[in-house]
This record gives sequence, C-alpha cells and structure tokens, in this order.
Amino acid sequence: MSRSVQLSTSPLLASKTPVWRSKLIVAAMALAFVGLAVRASYVQVFENAFFKHQGEVRFARTLTLPANRGRILDRNGLILASSVPAPSVWANPEEIDRSPEGLRQLSKWLEMTPAELAKKLENEDKTFVWLRRQMDEQVVKEILALNIKGIYSIKEYKRLYPEGESAAHIVGFTNVEDKGQEGIELVFQNQLAGKPGARRVIKDRLGRVVEDVGQMTPPVDGEDLQLSIDSKVQFFAYQKLREAVLENRAKAGSVVVLDAQTGEILALANYPSYSPDKRVNLTGEQLRNRALTDSFEPGSTMKPFTIALALEKGIIKPETIIQTAPGTINITGSTITDSHPHGALTVNEVIQKSSNVGTVKIAMQTQPREMWEMFTAVGLGQKPQLPFPGVVSGRLRAAKTWRPIEQATMSYGYGVSVSLFQMARAYTIFASDGKSLPATLIKNGQIPVGVPVISPANAEAMRHMLNMAAGPGGTAPKAQAVGYSVGGKTGTAHKQEGKGYAGKKYRGVFVGLAPIERPRIVVAVMIDEPSNGVYFGGDVAAPVFSQTVQQSLRLLGVQPDMNVKPQIVANGVEESF
Amino acid sequence: MTRLNLMLVLAVIFSAMFLVHSHYEARRSFMALEAATKEATRLELEHERLQVERRSQASPLRIEQIAKQQLQMRLVTPGITQYVKHPAELQKPGEKK
Repeated sequence: MSRSVQLSTSPLLASKTPVWRSKLIVAAMALAFVGLAVRASYVQVFENAFFKHQGEVRFARTLTLPANRGRILDRNGLILASSVPAPSVWANPEEIDRSPEGLRQLSKWLEMTPAELAKKLENEDKTFVWLRRQMDEQVVKEILALNIKGIYSIKEYKRLYPEGESAAHIVGFTNVEDKGQEGIELVFQNQLAGKPGARRVIKDRLGRVVEDVGQMTPPVDGEDLQLSIDSKVQFFAYQKLREAVLENRAKAGSVVVLDAQTGEILALANYPSYSPDKRVNLTGEQLRNRALTDSFEPGSTMKPFTIALALEKGIIKPETIIQTAPGTINITGSTITDSHPHGALTVNEVIQKSSNVGTVKIAMQTQPREMWEMFTAVGLGQKPQLPFPGVVSGRLRAAKTWRPIEQATMSYGYGVSVSLFQMARAYTIFASDGKSLPATLIKNGQIPVGVPVISPANAEAMRHMLNMAAGPGGTAPKAQAVGYSVGGKTGTAHKQEGKGYAGKKYRGVFVGLAPIERPRIVVAVMIDEPSNGVYFGGDVAAPVFSQTVQQSLRLLGVQPDMNVKPQIVANGVEESF
Repeated sequence: MTRLNLMLVLAVIFSAMFLVHSHYEARRSFMALEAATKEATRLELEHERLQVERRSQASPLRIEQIAKQQLQMRLVTPGITQYVKHPAELQKPGEKK
C-alpha cells in the first residue's frame, strides 16, 4: 500500500489520493510556466525586431509631403503662373448617407443638379467617386461642415494664370495632376515640379500625429522660373493683335516683340488664344503657337536681306540707280512684275516702294551661295534655339539646287518659308549694328554675344531704308507711331494651297524696329487671311506694329525721339536744371 | 537590507512613472508643434493664393477697363507727356530705368 495524503479530517470525505497525481499537476504547471517564459523571451529578446515592426505597421503611417510647383514669373517678377491649394471632394457611395435634404444641400455647393449628383452616386459597389475636383477652399469647408457621412476631401493644387489668354501660348498649362501639358509648363516640367518628400509618423486613435519615426525626407519645392516676357508689353501686343484680327475678319494673327539690344523675347502672342484656367472645348486652332510653329512665305519682308547682302558685297550703294521700267523682268522665261511700274529708282527707293523688279536685278548680281549664307546667318532655315515644343525651322534649300528663277523669287521672299519668330530674330541684324542676336525666353541676365553678319555702317543704311518704307511715300505709312521714329518692311504673300497659290488668300506681314537711330525693340506682326477688303501688310499689320511700338516704348521708358506738338502747357514750372 | 530594497523599489516605480509622464508630455508638445506647422503651411499657401488673387485683380485688362469706363481716363501719348531729366543723369548720360 502506498503513502497517501489525508485531505480531510472527516472520515466520510476521506479518499485516498495517490501522491503522484498531485506531483503530476505541479509538474504540469511548472512546465506551463517554463513554456510562457520561453515564449516571452522569444518575443522580447530573439524575435524582438519582427514584433516591433509588426506593431509599428499597425499604427505608423507614411505621409507624403507634397512639393510646391515653382512659379512662372515675368521679367519684372510679376506672376504668370502659380499653384494654389484647391481641395477636391470625393464620396464613398457604399457608405454615404442618402438623406434627400443633405444631398440637396451638397448638390448646391457642388454646383450640380440633384439628379447629376444622384447619377454619380448610383453605383453602390464603388468605394471612390470624384464629386468635383479642384474647388475653392471655402466651399469645401462648407461642404465638410454639412457633416454628411461618406463625403471626404483631398488636398490638391490648382494652377492659376492671372495673365489669362494674352500669355497662354507662352506659359502653357498643366493638367489636373499638376503636370505640364503645353508651353513653358511642359518644357520646364522637371525644373518646376520639385520632388515630394515623405515622413513616417505614429498616429493615435484619433488620427493625430504623435511621433516621428525615423528620418524625414523633406520635399524639394520646384524652382521659380523667370521669363524675359514683359507682361504689360505682352498684354498690349495681344490686345492690339486681337483688335486687328477681328477688324480685318482674319483667320488668325501673331505678334513677336524682341528686345533689340539683348535678343530677349518681350512678348509673343497669337490670336485666337484661350484661357488657360478654363480649358473647355479647346481646338487646335486656339492651341497653336503660330509665331513659332507655322511657317509661311515671307514675301517682301525678305527684300532687306537681299539688299543688305549686295551692300555688304559692295555691288551697290544706297544711292545707286536701278532701272525698274517697264515694271517687268524676264528670268529664264518667267516674268516677274511689280504691282505698279516705278521707272528708275535708287536702292533706297527699291525698299521704300518694295519693287520686285529692282530687288531681283540686284539679287541676280550676287551668287546663290552668298544669298544662302546670308539667309542662314540670320537664322532662316534653322530651328530657333528656343526650348519650345513644335518649333519649326522653315524651309531654305541648299544653294546648289537653286535655279536662276528660284534665286530671283527668293530674293523677294517666295520659295522660302519662315516662322514669324525667325523673321523677327533676323531683323535684329539691322537693329543691333549688324549682329545677329540669339533669342532667349528665359531671363538670366547674361549679355548675349551677337554674330556679326553685316557692318554697322550698312546696318545703319538699311535702317534708313526701312525708315523710308514706313514713311510718307513708302508702303507702310500706317506703321508710324506718335513721337517715335520707326522703320520696317511690309510683306503681302499669297497663301500656298497644295502646289499652287490660293487665289484670294493672303498673309499681311510687317516687321520693323524702333526708335530708328538706336532701336530698342523689333516687332513682327502677321495677319492670316484678312478678308475685310484690305489685305496688304501695310494696311492690316502695320497698324498693329504702330500701336505696339508706341505702347511698348512708353512702358520701357524710352523717351520719344521725334518732336511732338505738346498738348500740355506747363504753367509756372521752374525747370532749374 | 529590506529597507534599502524597499527604497530602491520605490525609486524604480517613481522613475517609471516619470518616464510615462514625460513621454506623454513629449507627445502633447509634438502634437502642438504639428498643429503649428500645419497652420504655418496653410498660411503660406493662403499668402500665395492672395498674391495670385491680387495679381489677377491688377491684370492689365482689368485696369484698362476700369480706367477707361469708370474713371474716364485715356492712354497717355507723347503729346501729353513732359519728359524731365534727373540732374544726376545730365552729368552721366545713361538709360533711364
């Protein structure tokens, strides 16, 4: 008989329990404790990192820190494009509270009819529906204050363009994701966009951030970009262009204003344009940056380069007499005519009257290769060094392939094609003493190095001719500006259609500079298909030039160089100096 | 010996409580900092928005419309402009800015 433990004193309750049973229970409990201890040390010591990480995953969150998109500024630091917060509102149709009163209020703030809203929310399987993107912050606050279940807002940014349609083609625009789509916004996307940062945080039960975990990657904001555009000049140029296009019932028009000293683009506008803030039903017509992407035959605006070449080669002098009678000339079987016969003209008058025959007679004394070199030196037939999508290089064939008749027509601007911007840039050789300046759109304060093309004396002689052309007896007296001396050349070109020229479709062009002695600006204007009776460059484009010059020079603080009859009387003003 | 142990236990408990408290304080002040940073960002963006707003209120188109229609103004022409020279520029001729 084994030993037993007496658990009760009462003999009635006395049961003989074998001792090994209690020992077994003690051992089992001890084993359980050992198990716990092992498990605890496993969790706390050996696999600690794993469990810590698992815990963190459940309450730590990674927040993206959005980077601000850089602004686009004009040359004076005025804003052309800037991003502002514009929250978007979204709904979870699965969990939304569909009480009619709340939805009615909501639809009012969203500026849609209750039916439209109901349609957006009808699919209850979805968990995410945009209600409206990029709204006003105040309105979103009101919407959230309605406290409707299942309505949320998300922080987004919207690009604003205070300059509106006048600078639309230069600045371009971004899409709803704040990514550049056109113009400068597209070309400098990487520079403007910046890099979003990230931080890891611990959030408490209420979603508040209570602690940072690990290293934070700070966001890198996009860089601001300063353009050479002067927004006031831009505005005036656009406005005058728009008026001219509407008045002449033209299809389109462009204007380019260059700084004659630095080659900077002060303004570049096209009509039709669009408002970059509200882009609905945009057509390709509106989006085209015609001044850079459309090439056309420049017509008579080409003549000054032919004459300048002949001057430079010493073939003619400004006073040399050229016989243009009887107003026609025959080149290898083809006849070139003037619109009016002029008789004997000096070289000055050939430009002033825009005589085709005179120009051809001078051009035929130069070599095709020399002409090609001249045109190339001023940038024709080459892609302008501008960071812009779709910039055209125009067409200038190699000199070897020119037949005599082609050389003749090219001398007055047919058989070559250029963009308006190229033409404006080419005229900088007359404005800056014979040097061809590289054009820039970005203001960087560097003084550009021009490439000499003609001598300063010949540039001055050319300016004199251009001045005559824009004066009484010239082809564009309407180019004159009050107080400022101007010079420039008209061009009226038949539009090409297919292989031939379209019967009654023209382009009126005017390219000029002012003030004539020390030019500050070069302005080029093109009006496409004017159809209100007049179509000559001197009638449709020159007035735009005149008004643009006058306003631009005033804005740039250039003092008038011509005597103006004062309309004010200064009473009792002592001028002590 | 027992007394020393007791004191050490008390010290440990106190230190532990203090740690909990300072952790709590740290989180509270961190939250305040967070709120302040958020506010700063908001104000910065608001500033940016207002700048753009001011710019669009001062757009040349709007100014011209108001000047012409409400204030009955007209464009300056050289005919009604009197240019004066600053005395300093007479000695050193240069471009006026």
